[in-house]
Amino acid sequence: MLLSIENLRTYFYSRSRRAFVRSVDGASLSVGRGETLGVVGESGSGKTVAALSAAGLVAGSPGVIGGRIELKSRNLLDGIERYVKVEERDGRVMAAEKDERGWGRQVRRLMSGVRGKEIAMIFQNPRAALNPYSTVGAQLVETIRLHTNLKGKHEAKDKALHWLERVRIDSPRLRFDSYPFGMSGGMCQRAMIAMALCAEPSLLIADEPTTGLDATIQARIVELLRELKDGTGITTLLISHDISVIRRLADRVAVMYAGTVVQSGTASQVLRPRDSRQHPYTAALLASVPSAETIRAKSALQAIEGEVPDTTSVPRGCRFYGRCNRVTDAVRSRCANLEPPLSEIEPGHKLRCWLHAA
Amino acid sequence: MNDTLLEVSDLSKHFRSRWGLASALTGQGRVIPAVDGVSFYLKQNETVGLVGESGCGKTTVGRTVLRLTEPSGGRIVFGGRDITHLDRARLRPLRREMQMIFQDLDAGLNPKMRVRAILREALTVHERPGDAEIERRIRELLEQVNLKESKLANFPSELSGGEKRRVGIARVLAVRPRLIVADEPTSALDVSIQAQVVNLLRDLQKHLGLAYLFISHDLPVVELVSHKVAVMYLGRIVEMGLSETIAREPRHPYTRILWSSVAEKHTAETTTAKDIGGVFDFEQPTRGCRFAPRCPLYQQQGRPAVCTDPASEPPLRDVGNGQVVACHFA
Amino acid sequence: MRRYVQSEKLSSFLLLRGADTLDLLYIGYGLAVLALVFASYLAGALGWLPHDPRAMNVALINAPPLTPGHLLGTDFLGRDLQARLILGIQAYFVPGLLAITISIVGGSVLGILAGYRGGAFDTLVTYFANLLDSFPRLVLILLVIAAFKADIYYVMVVVGITGMPAIASLVAGKIAFLREKSFIEAAHALGLPAHTVILKHILWLNCRAPLVIQATLGMAEAILIETSLSYLGFGVQEPTPSWGNMVLAGANYFLQGNFWPSSAPAIAILATILGFQLLGDGLNHLLEGKRR
Repeated sequence: MLLSIENLRTYFYSRSRRAFVRSVDGASLSVGRGETLGVVGESGSGKTVAALSAAGLVAGSPGVIGGRIELKSRNLLDGIERYVKVEERDGRVMAAEKDERGWGRQVRRLMSGVRGKEIAMIFQNPRAALNPYSTVGAQLVETIRLHTNLKGKHEAKDKALHWLERVRIDSPRLRFDSYPFGMSGGMCQRAMIAMALCAEPSLLIADEPTTGLDATIQARIVELLRELKDGTGITTLLISHDISVIRRLADRVAVMYAGTVVQSGTASQVLRPRDSRQHPYTAALLASVPSAETIRAKSALQAIEGEVPDTTSVPRGCRFYGRCNRVTDAVRSRCANLEPPLSEIEPGHKLRCWLHAA
Repeated sequence: MNDTLLEVSDLSKHFRSRWGLASALTGQGRVIPAVDGVSFYLKQNETVGLVGESGCGKTTVGRTVLRLTEPSGGRIVFGGRDITHLDRARLRPLRREMQMIFQDLDAGLNPKMRVRAILREALTVHERPGDAEIERRIRELLEQVNLKESKLANFPSELSGGEKRRVGIARVLAVRPRLIVADEPTSALDVSIQAQVVNLLRDLQKHLGLAYLFISHDLPVVELVSHKVAVMYLGRIVEMGLSETIAREPRHPYTRILWSSVAEKHTAETTTAKDIGGVFDFEQPTRGCRFAPRCPLYQQQGRPAVCTDPASEPPLRDVGNGQVVACHFA
Repeated sequence: MRRYVQSEKLSSFLLLRGADTLDLLYIGYGLAVLALVFASYLAGALGWLPHDPRAMNVALINAPPLTPGHLLGTDFLGRDLQARLILGIQAYFVPGLLAITISIVGGSVLGILAGYRGGAFDTLVTYFANLLDSFPRLVLILLVIAAFKADIYYVMVVVGITGMPAIASLVAGKIAFLREKSFIEAAHALGLPAHTVILKHILWLNCRAPLVIQATLGMAEAILIETSLSYLGFGVQEPTPSWGNMVLAGANYFLQGNFWPSSAPAIAILATILGFQLLGDGLNHLLEGKRR
């Protein structure tokens, strides 16, 4: 495993509600070398915060409070117990004390040489992530000189142009001297991908890379990511709420809901199950997007009752109970009172549901 | 019974990009033809979907049709009346019959008013019902949009995205419209909530006989809810027809690319439209067909002169089965 | 180390949920000052004074506080300080109200013209506001005093007018915010008439809190200006008391070691202005700034 996240807990404290927003509440994910793991979920699922935690970009109150994040056998949360004290009751965290400055220093120590070089990130709004005062070329060269062993200006420039070509940007030499505001969304996204990959990182984290782009451009970016994945064999953590993007790019898929992972396995196990071995949330999510069948029959979409849960209140049982349409009387009392563990129902395929627990 | 509710002929809307006091005086400044000759019609109980990418003018069409912004040209006929240049006073009573669901979830929801007050206000704009009647109608509206009664006491900031959308719909239903222009009704919502809203809109159409102009960039949803679909590019309709036909047998190259980009995420088909955005580009004003610079068919046919001939912008041609296409070669 | 605790129950009082103890302190103090000022104003207006403010008692010059019969002592002419302090409020209370009324009403009208009508109106109002802003307020005041007379009401009219741009931009800003959320468009689409949208939705519901806050801050400014002018000799003239001219009059005796005649009004000025400012600040934090 290249990246292994174990039992990550990232909380934010809301003063107005005097409660923790439990963005990531004990999530475990792992990505193998050369693999693409797609993380699917809606708002409040915690997928973006989990990715940001892995990149050490969560500055928060309190922020990351527990867990292990291993990148190539190096724990990026090393020593967090020294800086955080947690009080639990019934297995739920009710109070936390954190030495934020100390942890901030520790993070800087742990992440130096990692962020940008080993872990690269691309974000949702490409134009916002690029420096508006600097040309694309200058930003690329800066990254290359910083993170690779190409220190000379000319070598770096050649490499930068090479990457611009590789992301299939229109007229690379012209774009090298362009500023981000002069480029379209699709081009900015390509530039950002180039910037992320030119440092030759071990892990690429892509947070909603296609959201906000026009439909035709989305398709081309997905195509590009596919090509780069096949060409460079880079390990990717792909976050998206768009299942069609995940389908196209991910080898393995994890589904997150209310801060926890509810299902993880290979793409076909999770997205194309041959039997009922699927989490009710995953099934409902897939059914809420109009399929060819639904469109032909002009039938109603399968909507999930209720709302995405408020992550400040702590449910007693399964977090999806209340919206689940597969509850049977046999498991109802367990679903309502005890949170199911993530259990492996077949090799590599994990589910968090009482209907499928061992 | 099924007569035409809305008929739009050659509608256009030009925006002037102002350069300040000086050019306002001299009358110069660039003109952006956001909508440039759009025609379609909508019958009662029917949904016409309007699709296109950002900058194509679909939102502007929606706003202009409702006279929220003044048309620069063309004709709008609603319920048999020409409303294109109707003055404000005569327009106001008609407003109740044609409403809009805005893209922004907070539109129409005053952050300082509770849901009950918002609905109450909507109910009293054009009528003066008594208190008991208002209570009854509020309950009716909540039922229609599937909203819990406890939400009446909440402020908009206390509502989730899906709930805000439903309050917005209830507000619009309060004035009993016949036509609703829905501008991206699902975009800011989570996927599972989108399904709820789509189902809701379809149910409302069934029960209340509403007509929708459904503006969206979400192609599968548009295909599902619409009877007819119009595809827009840079201010013009490039293809229009029954939704099944547009989705499964598109003729215009742009429509093909659009729909294949949805399928593309599932398969390995490659698209060949260039990455230039579909925004009006002053550096290269269009001559002839607007899509030519990005058009794969143009390249394939060896760049025929007719596509860039300024005198011949391709008109919408009837190709049978209720389908019209604006292309010289499709 | 920072400690975060999840509470079991949530306070049901909507406002207090976000309130800091500091905000409550500020607002509490501010309200106390406001109440005291208003009560004193009424007392002064109705003549309910502990002593005749003009009665001079040569035997009791510069008496310290808690002298029998004079709670706060006397000034350099033996006049009761408490009575004079109370009467001094007359100098700024109503004029201050005039100033803030002009600012708020005038500013709101300008803001609505600029924000709601937009277009040419927006440009016009912006130019006008910039024009007003570019004049130094004190110079304008002195000009008015020189051209007309040293009347505090004239001065407050100037203060009011120069305060309009800030209010206008506040109101126009709120309108821009609502417009961006398609709120105004949606209100029109529903059929709501313009006057309802402006008066009810924009002004009453969305602007009243910031306008009230601006009123408190405006009052603090008015007090500062009035007392400064009187201190400089341009405002209220002797024997009519104003906190400013009382400070001036007592200044001579300050160096002799009689701190009180000067300090009493000075402390009053400080405490009162602080009260209004903190009230405004606390309300601002509570009502406007606490949203995430």
